[in-house]
Amino acid sequence: MRKLAVDVVVIGGGSTGAGVVRDVAMRGYSTVLLERADLGQGTTGRFHGLLHSGGRYVVSDPLSATECAQENAILSRIQAGAVEMTGGYFVTGPDDDPAFADKFLAGAAATGVPAQEIPVAEALRNEPRLNRGIKRAIEVLDGTVDGWQLVWGAANSAQHYGAQILTYHKVTKIDTVDGHVAAVHCTDLKNGEDVLIETGFVLNCAGPWAGQIAAMAGAHPVDVIPGRGIMVAMSHRLVNRVVNRCIYPADGDILVPVHTVSIIGTTDVKVDDPDHLVIETKEVQQMFDAGEVLVPGFRKARALHAWAGARPLIKDNRVAASDTRHMSRGMAVIDHTTRDGLDGMLTIGGGKLTTYRLMAEHIVDAMCDKLGEKRVCRTAEEDMPIEGAGPNYVVTHRLHDREHDRLDDQIICECELMSRKMFTDALAEQPKGSFDDLRRQLRLGMGPCQGGFCSMRATGIALASEHIDIERATELLRLFLKNRWIGLWPILHGEQLRQTALDNWIFSGTLDIEHLPAAESEVVL
Amino acid sequence: MSRVVVIGSGLAGLVAANRLADGGAEVLLLSKGIGGLQLGQGTVDVLGYAPQRVTNPIKAVAEVAASHPYAAIGAQGVLTALGYLKELAPDLLVGDPEANYHLPTAVGALRPTCLAQPSMLAGNLKAGSSVVVVGLRRLKDFQPELIAGNLARTELPDGGRVSARAINVDAVAREGEIDSSGLTFAKAFDDPGYRQRFAELLAPKLSDGEIVALPAVIGLMDRQAHADLSAKLGHPVFEIPLPPPSVAGLRLNQALNARAQAAGVRMVSGVRTVGFTADGDRVLSVRNATVPAEREYRADAFVLATGGFEAGALAMDSYGAVTETLFGLPLVGTENTPLIHGDYWGAEQPIFSVGVAVDAQMRVLDKGRPVYANLRAVGDLIAGSTRWAEKSGDGVAAASAVLAADSILKEL
Repeated sequence: MRKLAVDVVVIGGGSTGAGVVRDVAMRGYSTVLLERADLGQGTTGRFHGLLHSGGRYVVSDPLSATECAQENAILSRIQAGAVEMTGGYFVTGPDDDPAFADKFLAGAAATGVPAQEIPVAEALRNEPRLNRGIKRAIEVLDGTVDGWQLVWGAANSAQHYGAQILTYHKVTKIDTVDGHVAAVHCTDLKNGEDVLIETGFVLNCAGPWAGQIAAMAGAHPVDVIPGRGIMVAMSHRLVNRVVNRCIYPADGDILVPVHTVSIIGTTDVKVDDPDHLVIETKEVQQMFDAGEVLVPGFRKARALHAWAGARPLIKDNRVAASDTRHMSRGMAVIDHTTRDGLDGMLTIGGGKLTTYRLMAEHIVDAMCDKLGEKRVCRTAEEDMPIEGAGPNYVVTHRLHDREHDRLDDQIICECELMSRKMFTDALAEQPKGSFDDLRRQLRLGMGPCQGGFCSMRATGIALASEHIDIERATELLRLFLKNRWIGLWPILHGEQLRQTALDNWIFSGTLDIEHLPAAESEVVL
Repeated sequence: MSRVVVIGSGLAGLVAANRLADGGAEVLLLSKGIGGLQLGQGTVDVLGYAPQRVTNPIKAVAEVAASHPYAAIGAQGVLTALGYLKELAPDLLVGDPEANYHLPTAVGALRPTCLAQPSMLAGNLKAGSSVVVVGLRRLKDFQPELIAGNLARTELPDGGRVSARAINVDAVAREGEIDSSGLTFAKAFDDPGYRQRFAELLAPKLSDGEIVALPAVIGLMDRQAHADLSAKLGHPVFEIPLPPPSVAGLRLNQALNARAQAAGVRMVSGVRTVGFTADGDRVLSVRNATVPAEREYRADAFVLATGGFEAGALAMDSYGAVTETLFGLPLVGTENTPLIHGDYWGAEQPIFSVGVAVDAQMRVLDKGRPVYANLRAVGDLIAGSTRWAEKSGDGVAAASAVLAADSILKEL
């Protein structure tokens, strides 16, 4: 058994946990972050990529709107490389109530969200695929953000301040002594080793899983209600700005251009288990219909991939328990001292990716109060070490990079312009990682071919790097293809079905991949 | 002379066009592109898995289920087609219809196939062989460590194992280029001087008795390239086909195209065929989407060799409706719901068995009766099996094409 001792244990490697561990470390505490999978593998990696301007909430949730507007400005500065300043429109569809736009503009003024109505003709000129029947258009400062880059940026920053980031470490038990948190037990899933971490404070940032963590410390049940939302990525950018329906928040009301795709979202259905999120056919159909309203011909565009994420909403008695969309998106910090008589633990829920830094500030402030210490939050002032100092992301960045190294390096994934060196560097940093772990940082296999051409190359290169053996390499390839399929089959039609047939001709027809020998003993991936 | 239009220039279309021209028909081959052969591995698969590994493909063909395309084609149909293919490409296809080869793939699996190119045959390995898999550093589609690693842990179909190791050489196909395609390498290997330099680079790295595995890029036009390189190295050499664009597939494509042109087949390429006219139970013409006006081609008989989903001949829309995209032909297999399921490594996806039903002359059927008396469907369009999984695409394509052509010739 490995043993560690730190001031603060942060549980959960999504955006909240990463923001929290950075803040804790910057305030001078020794700290470790525990994540049972990879960073950003839960809700953080399963959203639509929107960096809110606040516009979405100006009518339904004014406090969130103001927070979004402020955090949008901060993040696009301190994590510039993860954020694209696309701008956004709120448009009134042909059958939408045009009066909502007046409420919207009033709400924007009241909440400090920059917004300005523009002529419909101007909106159509700038976004020629938009429905010609839109009745009003309001311009806002929406952006897009890569959730994985955001989380890794915060985690890297935390490491600069001495934090330890332990991925694939699953929390198994939380010890308390005389009503105070004393230690966290976890298991290193990559090698089965138990790890004991002595600590005085636990910050529970497990999102949809926060209830499970709180229960391990003996707290009364925390009602986190996972709200499942599905997203569908469409090939190419159908729009270059974020396009929102100018209506009260509803299903399928947003189309977000992120990297080389555009993502339509989303639905909201209460679920019991955030580990088993189903992508229902009828919800996919609902997204396609919603897409038609924004961009006519949407159903004939190429759908690439779908996924589902679970919102970590804390139960709020203002609305019915089945309606998760209208629960508070505002963050809630649960103080287990007053609630459960348990010292040394706080749980945070709610919130949204755009306000992840502010959520961290709140919970770490609350911890400092409990500890009776005055340590000031500096996370809004300091740029992240890697991507913070440079310019904002633009979709042509990789093309620019490849123009420079195309004579010295190979392109392993043509769809996403991932070079060999990008892959081998990431692998060297995460030698035990799966190809999906690497994908989240590199976008390996996320383009139109969905791994058809790059995954065999990546497998061979990983093997040649000698970080892994042949059995592991082969099992990683099998797992990668299996995981790609999870997001493919629910949306499969049209050009992507055609691509799948070609991919099958390659993998099965030419490579006969399904007849490779099985591993002699189980390979832990 | 009677006129026949063949639509599609994959294996099925090229075989049909050759066969019809050989039989005296005036043949027009319409294709929107280069055809599917360059996507494949340049071998002729008849039946590789049923679902266990097949050693005698002709015997296995005779035992397929009634819904399988081979049930209408029959073992004799396959034998005739294999014989014809060997005539069409005598220096490119060899093999025994009653014994599959088991050839290493670019991930190191042993893939069963019936006819193969002579440059691949040393890959039909015997127990105890030593293989050295040679990667070219500038060719990313051939990863020698992956191939050698999996070959070494594979039991041969007859039992026994081989040993395998991987090496890499830094051969330059085009000066200053680090990311060269297989085609670029193939053109370089067409040059005997390049082969000589390559042999000098590689030979010192080989051990006595080793069989040399190389990516299938050893020449595109020069049919002697493989034998020459093998002689220069003093080792048996075999080629392993790559994912598209496949040089081995291109060789077959070129051979069959050249043969068709020599036989008098007229070709119109680069234009999509988008419509047709019919009168009662006969197709009168098809239309190409030429600019500025569509072009109509009339004929006495039509062969539809447009392929499957990969070619766009079959398509599913966003509501899940499946269609044959040119004639709107009735499809079978759509009743198997769900057509797509979530288990990637599980049972075959039913969608990919959807296609048209045909009779023994390859006429397309609707409830047992031909839709058009002079329209035949060949190749991937025919319903009833997942070709890539069972490794049967080439056999179905070639045999259905020969049957369709022969039945047309009988009528004309």
